[in-house]
Amino acid sequence: MAAVLVHVDLVGDRPDASSLVALAAGRHVASSWGATLYAAVVVHDPHHSNVTSNHDDIAATSMPNVPGLAQAESALARAGADKVVIAVSRGPISPLWSAVGNAWRGVVDHLRPRLVLFGADAPSAAELGPRTAARIGARLLLRARATGIDDVELRDRDGGYARVGDGGAAVALIGRAPALDLVDDDCDVDVVVLAMPGEPDDRIELVTSSPAEIAYASGTMVVLGDDVAADPRVIAGARRLARMLDAHVVGGAAAVRSGAISNGGVIDKTTPLAPELIVTIGGVQVDVAGATSVIKVGASPATRIAGVDGVVAGPVEAGLAELVKKLEAS
Amino acid sequence: MSTAEGQHPGADNEATARLTITPGSRIALWLGNQGPARSIRWLDGALKTVAKFDPNKTGRAIALAAGSTSWLDLAADRARHAGVASAGVQTELQLDYLGWAQIVAAATRHLGASTILVDEASRPERWVEVAAIAELLDAAQLTHVVKLAPDKDVIHASRIVGGQLQTVRVRGTAVIGVRIAGAPVDEYPTPMPATSMLQLQLEMLGLDPVVLGHRSQPPRSHQPKKTVERIAEHLVVHLAPHGAR
Repeated sequence: MAAVLVHVDLVGDRPDASSLVALAAGRHVASSWGATLYAAVVVHDPHHSNVTSNHDDIAATSMPNVPGLAQAESALARAGADKVVIAVSRGPISPLWSAVGNAWRGVVDHLRPRLVLFGADAPSAAELGPRTAARIGARLLLRARATGIDDVELRDRDGGYARVGDGGAAVALIGRAPALDLVDDDCDVDVVVLAMPGEPDDRIELVTSSPAEIAYASGTMVVLGDDVAADPRVIAGARRLARMLDAHVVGGAAAVRSGAISNGGVIDKTTPLAPELIVTIGGVQVDVAGATSVIKVGASPATRIAGVDGVVAGPVEAGLAELVKKLEAS
Repeated sequence: MSTAEGQHPGADNEATARLTITPGSRIALWLGNQGPARSIRWLDGALKTVAKFDPNKTGRAIALAAGSTSWLDLAADRARHAGVASAGVQTELQLDYLGWAQIVAAATRHLGASTILVDEASRPERWVEVAAIAELLDAAQLTHVVKLAPDKDVIHASRIVGGQLQTVRVRGTAVIGVRIAGAPVDEYPTPMPATSMLQLQLEMLGLDPVVLGHRSQPPRSHQPKKTVERIAEHLVVHLAPHGAR
């Protein structure tokens, strides 16, 4: 039977929310395709026997002592996994290929999945997703979603897709999936614990990790134009949109004066921005050249739209309100 | 264009003129297979970053591009401005991330590069090539790097992941995706034909265009969405999952 494998990041002792979205997509796909759904987590226990082992093969092993792992297993079972794979890494976990790549590669080689899913916003997705795809020669879908009812397929916004009849493997970073009816009670799930060979790649050494004030090079930004920075309804709409997209609201000096943003959120037309998504609201003059995707809300028909993915023309407040409403309904 | 054989005394890029094909620890910068989507600012930033590895302009740092002649002309011109040597693979192929990665891996082996930077920000699809190149070269990888400083055999890098700023040290063979901007550029002179660029052919890199064609991917049309419904559909894959909001 074909395998659908979902990589699950743990944040503290809980599965990452974006990973659970990928698991939901995986459940829909696996049920439709008649595949087994594996949820895999890579963990580290400094006292586990695998840490001092020098075996070169993947082997079944004892359950590691990782706080919250039992609850995470239960959460993954309730979220639809048929089997949970716990891969015990010899090195500490961090969202870098150099740290967990060897252990993850072992899981992929062991299961030989037809489809591998990551939460698009999961901490490890950017490092592990494309490398996994390259390793197995797979098609790669970015920000994909599961669609269809009987014949479920994955589709990304650039027109890429993965269907049941496709030849070859695919890797998808999942942005959205239909909700599942979660099982409330604890339910049994097969758990496989594997000792993974290989040391972390010491060519990359993590020195420090600290919260970034405003990440201009990742995530999503909502940019408020000076012309709408004092309009309370637009500000409220922008904040609502930002909350839904887990975005920062930024803008110019006028937005600071109106209290719409803090001093730390001030940008000007030369500030280099390279996030995954920028939504501009009103008449905004910023350099969006580094952004992966750009949406303009309230642009005039004369606005240059080269390199823009979407334009909500017309009055800002009405366009923004309608967009927020549509997203809430989705 | 020059050929891959030896020195290039007539070239107008001093750094390319000093270029010799010998194994060593060269630093390559992959500029991609198409010009920047919106502005050359990030291209310039990536070139300025790789130039730090070769302050004496010896040809140790080299920019690599592939694709159409007009793009190679622009890449060579901006590399010349930055004092960085350049090499190009002229091809009409339209490939996916893994197809281009095969070309980069072969070209960097040919050039003797052990560290490869990738300009991630100029085009939206390029960041995924970092991992593919690293996989093919069995190299370490690092994406979303916003600051980079060479220090003898070590590279100090800062990268953004989610809401975290990580600082890391890199040693040995590595592929590093950079998002480092240059100065804002509104307009730039039309590039001249790339006489200074070292020309590489797929065949000399040991690549068969027919085999590469298995990774072909036709360019996808890009029409801006103009209705709220379609824009909401575009944004829905960016919604924060329930529980994360």
